[in-house]
Amino acid sequence: MDISAFAAILISTVFINNFILSRFLGLCPFIGVSKETGPAVSMGLAVTFVTTTASILTWFIYDLILIPLHLEYLRTLSFILTIAFFVQFAEIVIQKKMPSLYKAFGIYLTLITTNCAVLGVTVLNTDMFFLKYKAVAGSFLMSALQGLGAGAGFTLAMLLMSGIRERLEYAEVPRCFRDVPITFIIASLMSMAFLGFSGFKI
Amino acid sequence: MKTSSELIKGLWNENPTFKMMLGLCPTLAVSTSVVNGLGMGVAATFVLAGSSVIVSMVRHIIPEKVRIPCYIVIIATFVTIIELLMKAYMPLLSRALGMYVPLIVVNCIVLGRAEAFASKAAPVVSAIDALGMGMGFTWALCLISAIREALGNGTILGFGISDYFSPPLFMILAPGALLTIGVLIAAINHFSARKDDKRWT
Amino acid sequence: MKQTVKFGLILGFICLIATFILAFTHEITKPKIEEQIRREEEAALKAILPEADYFRPGEADGIEYFEGLRQSELIGYCLKVTGSGYGGYIHMMVGIDPSGVIKGVRILEHHETPGLGSKIDEIRKGDSSPYFLRQFVGKRGDSLAIRKNIDAITGATISSKAVTDAIQKTVSEFLQKVKR
Repeated sequence: MDISAFAAILISTVFINNFILSRFLGLCPFIGVSKETGPAVSMGLAVTFVTTTASILTWFIYDLILIPLHLEYLRTLSFILTIAFFVQFAEIVIQKKMPSLYKAFGIYLTLITTNCAVLGVTVLNTDMFFLKYKAVAGSFLMSALQGLGAGAGFTLAMLLMSGIRERLEYAEVPRCFRDVPITFIIASLMSMAFLGFSGFKI
Repeated sequence: MKTSSELIKGLWNENPTFKMMLGLCPTLAVSTSVVNGLGMGVAATFVLAGSSVIVSMVRHIIPEKVRIPCYIVIIATFVTIIELLMKAYMPLLSRALGMYVPLIVVNCIVLGRAEAFASKAAPVVSAIDALGMGMGFTWALCLISAIREALGNGTILGFGISDYFSPPLFMILAPGALLTIGVLIAAINHFSARKDDKRWT
Repeated sequence: MKQTVKFGLILGFICLIATFILAFTHEITKPKIEEQIRREEEAALKAILPEADYFRPGEADGIEYFEGLRQSELIGYCLKVTGSGYGGYIHMMVGIDPSGVIKGVRILEHHETPGLGSKIDEIRKGDSSPYFLRQFVGKRGDSLAIRKNIDAITGATISSKAVTDAIQKTVSEFLQKVKR
């Protein structure tokens, strides 16, 4: 495993297989919280934090507990519980230790448990970096990087979308297209642009 | 009268996809063909109905503060059951839906119904409500996937439409999904707005 | 504090019941799932080496293979090949004759993008087998390369390359083992 393989994972999850625009994971907050740039980026950073740590935690659970005990079928259950507990724990810690940070991120953290991007990246990690229930070379680092990349890709899409929507405030959108439908149309155009990245050779 | 209205509200007035805009990730990801859409719809309906009944049955036992983790465990159990059953009896469908089957756990419709309805109602009513919502989700999924399969692949349920139509590929890629749902919601807004206008004048 | 313990116990109890139910479902479905996989493998073996009447499984340094026998005479091998595609692993079954010429390729499982990468397994109207995989037949398994003797699918270069490279790599490794 060389550096280029790790770089490829990062580039691939941010641009080519962007979590929102090509895998549709985390679409609800993408439509719901992308009206202004500030909250959109805060949400993105909170998601990045959770996807990265969740990738690391679930990798250990899968590799050290589920596979040795042949309990692979408990993957969904154990992963979602881990994510739920971790998010709850992070919320309490941040609230106590860093109240100013909590003011900026707190409300988004609670929404993250049911964000498909988080469970999505952990499931994807076990699909991609485990072959026949065995970790492939560099599996752990690749999982962690994929978690980071997924969050970064999410943040990028949120940032772009919120920038466009802020300007859209001044546009005259036909009445039936206002708000959600036009957001989908813009997302479609962005997704088409991101499709151009799939020609990348990595 | 009341039970039928509980069943029907999910189909249109409170349709999870078009009106409440919940559970969009699987809707868009698997709607590349009608078979996939139908499979996902039925799987989600099973999870919805099962978890709603159980949540409603244990609603007096579970303390308020830990209710969300408990609901998640119940939902994840049903999701894993359907995942294993699909692998055993419908391997092709299970492969086509792939990682989006475990992701039913975080489908906002399921947790949303458990929290908003099943935790406050009797098991039978909850089951009817869940079935209605599931059917609403399924038909929305079938409609979107029918449009995408017809335009993007030139087929419906695998049968060719016409030899003279060369389908634009992008309809079954990601942008096509976002475009389809955007236009559909706009169309629904347009017609329901017109109905409202008539009522007012 | 006492309340926290009580909550933990209730949640733990629910998890315990859930685990039991899942273990039960797993036990019931496990033989079915294994049978499905075995049946698919068998179908692929028969399609790739139709002349063989018996397949003997074996393993050489991590490569799983089947020896295709007809009246106890070796007529070819079927190798299990795994490539790393665009959306995850691509599992294939590749048939070669004893000298290394490809007899047939079957995709067992893939997660490529519908409409693009999925074309590696697409059967055109009026055809009986996927057009991309047909071009492998008759070529030596250890000298395959995109653009040299294999045409990639337009818009699905990564998936085409993944299939070609995986077959080339596994077959060359396997042939070296057999020769020794």
